[in-house]
Amino acid sequence: MEDKVYWKGLEELEQPSQQNDREFADELPVLGSIMEPITTKGTTSRRDFLKMLGFSTTAAVVAAGCEMPVRKSIPYAFKPEEVTPGIANYYASATYQGGDYAAVLVKTREGRPIKVEGNSLATVSQGGTSSRAQASVLSLYDGGRYRNPMRGKENITWETADKEIGEKLKAVKDAGGKIVIYSATIPSPSTLAAIEEFKKAYGADHLVSDAVSYSGILAANGGAIPSYHFDKAKVIVGIGCDFLGTWLSPIEFAKDWSKNRKLNGGKKEMSRHIQVESALTVTGSAADKRVVVKPSEEATFAVDLLKAIESGASGNKRADAVAKELTAAKGAALVVSGSNDPNVQTVVNAINKALDSYGATISDSQTYNTKKGSDKAAADLVAGLDGGTIKAVIFYNSNPLLTHPQAAKLKDALKKAAVSVSFSEVADETSEACAYVCPDNHWLESWNDVSPKTGVYNITQPTITKLFNTRQAQETLLAWSGNNTNFYDYIRAYWDKNLSGKQSKFTGFNALWDVTVHDGELVLDGDKTSVGTWSGSYTAPADAAAAVTAAYGNLGETQLKVYESVAIGDGTWAGNPFQQENPDPITKITWGNVVLTSVNFRRKNNIKNDLELKDYQLVKVTANGQSVTLPAVAVPGVADGTFAIAVGYGKTVTNGAAGNDLKVGQNAYPLLGMIGDNYSFISKATVEVLNQEEKVAITQSHHNIVLKDLGGIKKRHIVKETTLPEYLKSPDAGNEDRKEILEELVTLYYKHEYPGHHWKMNIDLNSCIGCGACVTACNIENNVPVVGKDQVIRSREMHWMRIDRYFTFTKMEENATDPADKNAPALPAEEVDVVFQPMLCQQCDNAPCENVCPVAATTHSSEGLNQMTYNRCIGTRYCANNCPYKVRRFNWYDYQAADSFDGKRVGKMWANEGLLSDVTNSMHEPLARMVLNPDVTVRSRGVIEKCSFCVQRTQEGKLAAKKENRPLKDGEIKSACQTACPTDAIVFGDGNNKESVVAGLLQDPRTFGVIEEIHTMPNVTYLTKVRNREEEAKAAGKEA
Amino acid sequence: MHAYESDFREPLINGNKNYTIITDELVGPTEKTYTGWWLLLIIFGCLAGLFVFCLSWTVFFGIGVWGLNKTIDWAWDITNFVWWIGIGHAGTLISAILLLFRQRFRTGINRAAEAMTIFAVICAGMFPVFHMGRVWNAFFIFPYPNTRGPLWVNFNSPLLWDVFAISTYFSVSLLFWYSGLMPDFATIRDRAKGKYRKMIYNILSFGWTGTAKQWQRFESLSLILAGLSTPLVLSVHTIVSFDFATSVIPGWHTTIFPPYFVAGAIFSGFAMVETLMLIVRKVFKLEDYITVNHIESMNKIIVLTGSIVGIAYITELFIAWYSGYMYEQFAFYNRALGKYWWAYFMMMSCNVLSPQAYWFKPARRNLWVTFGLSIFVNIGMWFERFVIIVTSLADDFLVSSWAYFQPTWVDIAIFIGSIGLFMTLFLLFCRFFPVIAIAEVKSIFRTSSATAKAERAKELGQSSGGFVGLTTFGILDKDAKQ
Repeated sequence: MEDKVYWKGLEELEQPSQQNDREFADELPVLGSIMEPITTKGTTSRRDFLKMLGFSTTAAVVAAGCEMPVRKSIPYAFKPEEVTPGIANYYASATYQGGDYAAVLVKTREGRPIKVEGNSLATVSQGGTSSRAQASVLSLYDGGRYRNPMRGKENITWETADKEIGEKLKAVKDAGGKIVIYSATIPSPSTLAAIEEFKKAYGADHLVSDAVSYSGILAANGGAIPSYHFDKAKVIVGIGCDFLGTWLSPIEFAKDWSKNRKLNGGKKEMSRHIQVESALTVTGSAADKRVVVKPSEEATFAVDLLKAIESGASGNKRADAVAKELTAAKGAALVVSGSNDPNVQTVVNAINKALDSYGATISDSQTYNTKKGSDKAAADLVAGLDGGTIKAVIFYNSNPLLTHPQAAKLKDALKKAAVSVSFSEVADETSEACAYVCPDNHWLESWNDVSPKTGVYNITQPTITKLFNTRQAQETLLAWSGNNTNFYDYIRAYWDKNLSGKQSKFTGFNALWDVTVHDGELVLDGDKTSVGTWSGSYTAPADAAAAVTAAYGNLGETQLKVYESVAIGDGTWAGNPFQQENPDPITKITWGNVVLTSVNFRRKNNIKNDLELKDYQLVKVTANGQSVTLPAVAVPGVADGTFAIAVGYGKTVTNGAAGNDLKVGQNAYPLLGMIGDNYSFISKATVEVLNQEEKVAITQSHHNIVLKDLGGIKKRHIVKETTLPEYLKSPDAGNEDRKEILEELVTLYYKHEYPGHHWKMNIDLNSCIGCGACVTACNIENNVPVVGKDQVIRSREMHWMRIDRYFTFTKMEENATDPADKNAPALPAEEVDVVFQPMLCQQCDNAPCENVCPVAATTHSSEGLNQMTYNRCIGTRYCANNCPYKVRRFNWYDYQAADSFDGKRVGKMWANEGLLSDVTNSMHEPLARMVLNPDVTVRSRGVIEKCSFCVQRTQEGKLAAKKENRPLKDGEIKSACQTACPTDAIVFGDGNNKESVVAGLLQDPRTFGVIEEIHTMPNVTYLTKVRNREEEAKAAGKEA
Repeated sequence: MHAYESDFREPLINGNKNYTIITDELVGPTEKTYTGWWLLLIIFGCLAGLFVFCLSWTVFFGIGVWGLNKTIDWAWDITNFVWWIGIGHAGTLISAILLLFRQRFRTGINRAAEAMTIFAVICAGMFPVFHMGRVWNAFFIFPYPNTRGPLWVNFNSPLLWDVFAISTYFSVSLLFWYSGLMPDFATIRDRAKGKYRKMIYNILSFGWTGTAKQWQRFESLSLILAGLSTPLVLSVHTIVSFDFATSVIPGWHTTIFPPYFVAGAIFSGFAMVETLMLIVRKVFKLEDYITVNHIESMNKIIVLTGSIVGIAYITELFIAWYSGYMYEQFAFYNRALGKYWWAYFMMMSCNVLSPQAYWFKPARRNLWVTFGLSIFVNIGMWFERFVIIVTSLADDFLVSSWAYFQPTWVDIAIFIGSIGLFMTLFLLFCRFFPVIAIAEVKSIFRTSSATAKAERAKELGQSSGGFVGLTTFGILDKDAKQ
């Protein structure tokens, strides 16, 4: 009898295949041919049955004879209420580390925090994150963390520590000596309350000083920095102020700034951003216009600007031009300065006052709690210890022996103290010099609260039991003050007492607490954007201007600019391998700091920058009586006479297995000068070119994009940009050629079909600031290994997501010279433009990698993904060669200790600890491996890997929708890079869903694919970068 | 009356010979032990050991011990592969195509050339295997039945075509070579004194007795194998060139590659044959069998193929310019004037310029010049592959990913080691197998040897009153002295 087909109704007859019914779009071949005859047709003969029986018996016998690896997996004896194995839990929390605040969701799996995502309910960070916040989850599993309280090098118990330190503190107090808590800014009100208790108990002082200081702007604003609203500004002027990368509250500013930079959905307006700076920053790179000045002129420019705004002309033509634009946007203008000089900040305040910015783009009724440090406190500490007035010191949340400019003096002075205690979680310079270490919990193990701004409160909640015998610093302080409350109760009591009454949303405290713990944030009543009057006046603007001119008038031709790097920050992240390997956005340098110089300096002095072998000549920079020797790296866009060095590097103490690998670069803090009571990041300097070279772990070599060769380079369709006037004239400006390219995309071959979903990503080059948050997020989400400095020098970084940085000229025709050419005319730094382009697997619909794999290890899915099958890959690397985007990464060594073939053990025997760097080996420690995402395969040696479009997330999202028996909603699935992005530049979604955001963006005339003309049909598209500039409009349409 | 061959043709066997002398002289090397041979065997054996050591090192620690990086995923490994495969081309060309074209000069060199082919293909085959990141899974590339779906190989991949092309080529070449050896093994057996020697060579000769039927079948087999391998000569390197030609990388993606690679392969193959034969004829005193005439014929092929390769280089440059395709233009600009200009310079000077000396007869017939140039060609052809592979990968589409390749000691040692392996095999071959195809040389004795020609001249001189041919051109006398 023939098989009959039954159908439930007309729907099924007419549409036999329902995509949603199945987890996989394709029929799975599993068991099909074997099982079918038995189960459905019943045609299996006795012979077939015996064959299968025989085979399975033999197979079972053979398999049983093999030694199978024993894998230990221990089930829960009692399942915790919230934990379901395989299902992630998210907890709202907040981090404030090294001056970086972010409200986050912590993703935990089986009780392990493995990732942080931005908390979109938070009003300050608005769901954005930074690479530092992303990387902080790795710090939890840092092998360098203290496991116990210590007396010198000796482990002690908490009881002993409490007893001994308590006695010593009491002795100091009784002898009339001063006790001091020295910390960075503490934005936690409950912690401050605990410190108050301690202060009361011991008559102690609390000295607050931030490594990267904001004391100048604090002084100029009467002790509290007002809120800046970049989303409300039509004209933004940043003066030496990297507000998108590092300054004050970069996540918030990037979010706000990007709102007026997007031209999606036919928007016709964008803000005008002018950046006045000496070295190149991500903020400068994102600006529409860069005014390139010497470091000292970052100060005097503000004075000229004020003069120009007040009187119309200042004698500085560039300042006049900027003033004209600002004045035209009065009431919607914003000027910010990164200077740490109160006089400069006073001048900037006066400018904002003159522009009516207060109440419009600046709100001083809501101020930042995240920066409260005073440089005087840092000086007081050294003086007090040295002079013998301070007899006991507790270091909390700070590492002054690395970050204090007088670290050497402090180290000697510290020896005079009767008792010194560090609360540091990890071994650092200060904790090593202290008599006692009372290690604090990591923030992921702690209860805490963070108030980033007036009226905004976040809860930090523990997401894992503490890993070591550590104790929260607050509890330690409370214990020493005789208060044995645990800090959780303490916070609750504090909130109940101080916050409950200031809000009207919740009636009972428990309701307030529960919802806040769930949502992560409590906002008190009161309009936080209300107009305030400008109250903070440091001194009269005229006096301030005169002081600035006097102080910065003659710093000479050679000046030092010390800055904070995007990845390492003030040095807090120098111990974090992910951050060390996250390339600096501008220089693309990992593992160490360098001296940024102008291109003309390099040409004049014939300094060697060997792009092939990555050898860079060393220079010795001397300022304020201190000097450092670092490789000189010429960067287009850096002002002549400027030498910029990042702080935070040059660690001398590390504890974990990574050891010396983290001691890279040189410490630039000692180079800081003083201006009044504040540290100055700008100094007169002398530079000596040394006849030595050093290898620099750079991931992208400089300045080959503007090679004046066969004229081919600039026509490469890699990045596209235009100007706003051109864009308004025709929305496909800069992207005109795409039409032709698409028309010519004809093929003889069959095309793939995508019956279900077709995943696509769109990246807005206009809002990408190159900060690298996506890079770290991707590394953590996808278990991308850290390979170490040596491997990066060999160009073997494993990043799935990288940010390509291209330089170009504002006026291409006139300046198309090769900066590598020593005879070329001087390179005007001001005419350099930068484009950032996040580059990841383009998931081509016609992928060159797929057809060349001999074993079909990389295949095309019915959802448009190029899938990597790691256990099929034999590592011929043909796919990587044939990838035009060079996004495929090969596991040259056993980077993840995932290989059954243990080359590492042999390596230890033969090749002196193997060929992996210490830092890579340190990531193999069981502790560090706790950070691995269990949803993503850890790749073994010898296989290729690459971006999967976070396939674990798409599968999870599809499954969730399937279980709820509904179609997948747009925006439900987000890639890791997308959620990390502080400017929402990345959009991911289903191109087959015509309602989706990404499908809409595909129709945008600005959309283009990278090198589409080779017919790869990428599923990642980009939006043309549009710069808001009038006068340079003629340069429109240039491409790099 | 002997089979007729024009007396204007130079003899292919010099000296006063008869069949006994030929047998003595050609079997001789397998019956003696040479001190120099031992010395060379020890040196090259050590290098072969180095090869094994470095490959083990690579497998233990990972491909990371080579100088490759995220941008340049192939460099010396595939350069060596293509270089060795190219060298392996001359053998089959000589034995198959020249057999079909009835070029009698092949008889003096075909045995050694075929052996060289086998050994070169063995060396070549090492690289695609050991360049794999997970060599222990190398069997995945074979389309064997399995329980994984079944999971099949990807027939679209040129690397898979390589697997078939090279394994076919290797088996056919091996068969051809071995079948030719059988009568010669029998000759050695018949002269053998020791019991075991006799036994071993008897086994090796498959019990060859030399009956007319055997000879007839032998001849048929030779023709069939020649017919089979002729397309292989062209196809193997064509397919190897597809590794590059079917990709999208500028500098790889060119349709000229198949003919260009085949010409280059023959070019380098003949150069390697010359390098080896010039040594062999001296060491084993085979100057009468591998004559200057042989060398000159090979030099003619070298100048022809070298010029084809040269035209291909220039065509590439022209097409890059003419195409108007900027990536291609840049790739070739970069090739000649970029960071690897020195490799391009080596390639051009060794491959294109140096063989031009062979337009001049004195150069073609000068053994020192020939030996020097054959080395140059080998160097040049290695650089050709390096230039194609590395410079194209180093600077392709996305400027951000451009990188530089630097070999490590392992890269260098593996290359030197592969030469060691090759030479070790070749030395063993020289000692135990007849280097010259005895039966084949004997087959042309009556037509193309100096002895036969002299006899013929004598006959003709007696009957017609003097013949001006050979003696007038002075060839006989001069070559006899060499």
